[in-house]
Amino acid sequence: MMLSSVIRNLFSKPATRPFAPAARTAPQGYRGAVEFEEEVCIYCGACATRCPANAICVDRVAKSLEFDPFKCVQCGACAEACKKGCVQLQIDYQHPVAVRHTVAFHGPPKPTVAP
Amino acid sequence: MAQRTVIPFGPQHPVLPEPIQLKLTLKDEIVEEALPHIGYVHRGVEKAAERMDYTQNVFLVERICGICSFIHALCYCQGLERLMGLEVPRRAAYLRVIWSELHRLQSHHLWLGLYADAFGFESLFMEFWRSREMLMDIFEKTAGSRVIISACCIGGVRRDISDQHLQETLETLKTLEAAFDKSSEVMLNDYTVKKRTVGKGVLQADKAIMLGAAGPVLRASGVEQDARQTGFAAYDELRVEPVVETAGDCYARAKVRIREVRQSLDLVRRAIAGLPDTDIAVRPKGRPNGRTISRVEQPRGELLYFLAANGSQKLERLRVRTPTFANVAPLVHMLPGSELADVPVIVLSIDPCISCTER
Repeated sequence: MMLSSVIRNLFSKPATRPFAPAARTAPQGYRGAVEFEEEVCIYCGACATRCPANAICVDRVAKSLEFDPFKCVQCGACAEACKKGCVQLQIDYQHPVAVRHTVAFHGPPKPTVAP
Repeated sequence: MAQRTVIPFGPQHPVLPEPIQLKLTLKDEIVEEALPHIGYVHRGVEKAAERMDYTQNVFLVERICGICSFIHALCYCQGLERLMGLEVPRRAAYLRVIWSELHRLQSHHLWLGLYADAFGFESLFMEFWRSREMLMDIFEKTAGSRVIISACCIGGVRRDISDQHLQETLETLKTLEAAFDKSSEVMLNDYTVKKRTVGKGVLQADKAIMLGAAGPVLRASGVEQDARQTGFAAYDELRVEPVVETAGDCYARAKVRIREVRQSLDLVRRAIAGLPDTDIAVRPKGRPNGRTISRVEQPRGELLYFLAANGSQKLERLRVRTPTFANVAPLVHMLPGSELADVPVIVLSIDPCISCTER
């Protein structure tokens, strides 16, 4: 058996892929990096409540959301909880970066009532 | 004159994937006593589970073990479903079996590779791990992730497997089986492999029961016990006969796992063939209240979860008893009398998962 393996492995292509030049795209439904559509968000906080890693922080009064991609475990609980469909998991994985950062956005300011 | 020496085996050692220390008292080259020391990867998962919401804990318990993440989540969800009086739809139960058995397959492939590496057979290690990649690709396709698949939820499963993916899975398993036939042949019949495994680290059946061994370690000693016989998920319909060997040595433990790989392949095929067409989850209502023990069969043996809930969002207590924890005492019994050179093989033969053990 081992001799046949040796011969097979000598003449077959490598089992691994050359990563950078031939990067593979993940299959449909892959749980990659989390992205928010800030125009659609209503700041209800459903994603923050469900997040097991406490990566999302929503202020319902100030209408702001802060997301820490370095805490995120890409479980997809936020995307399932979001009724508006503004949280999506990308097919691509979370890329490494040099500086740690958070993603933050907020809603339009409340219209001021004329005196 | 024979001299006694104490050798620390681990926590960093080439054969150990995870840190555990065994203090070996040697008389010349023969082990007289082994003392285990654990506590190098304690993460406080049980305490963290008391502070998190019971739905968030599903993702937490999966991270206890990367090799059988789905089975941890299954055990936890099963316990909560019992507390909340939920009946899981049949399709979800079958999908749980499919993912559990795929996890058993990949875990056994991983172990067989590491085991081959423990006695220095690196090419065999590569063969098993190459096959394992096929299984990781199935997880990525069907559940969205390679290792922590997060497919289980309270009340069922989070996503369905499409017919196309089921067909692709069956095709992949065919290729996997052909590769496994060749690799397992070497593991079972090769002269040098047998020299390193036959008669090493023998555990008698009565000792295995007395010391509380679990899983393949217990079954390799001739005890017919498998938690899948209790009929959780869809195992009540897909009957499972425990794989039993009687020798109780390292070779028997490898043989049990090799036969279990074939059993799992058969189970996945039967589960796919009999997959009912129902919903995949029921919505949990209310909050869990009461105490229960949930039992499932992990690749390493029987896994126990004790859950205590008080009707609030958070659990009062979560206790996890992992199979490796149960197998440390039998390991300490197996080592005395063996040669120092055989220690790595014997330690690996229980399939130690220290991250599980220490949680």
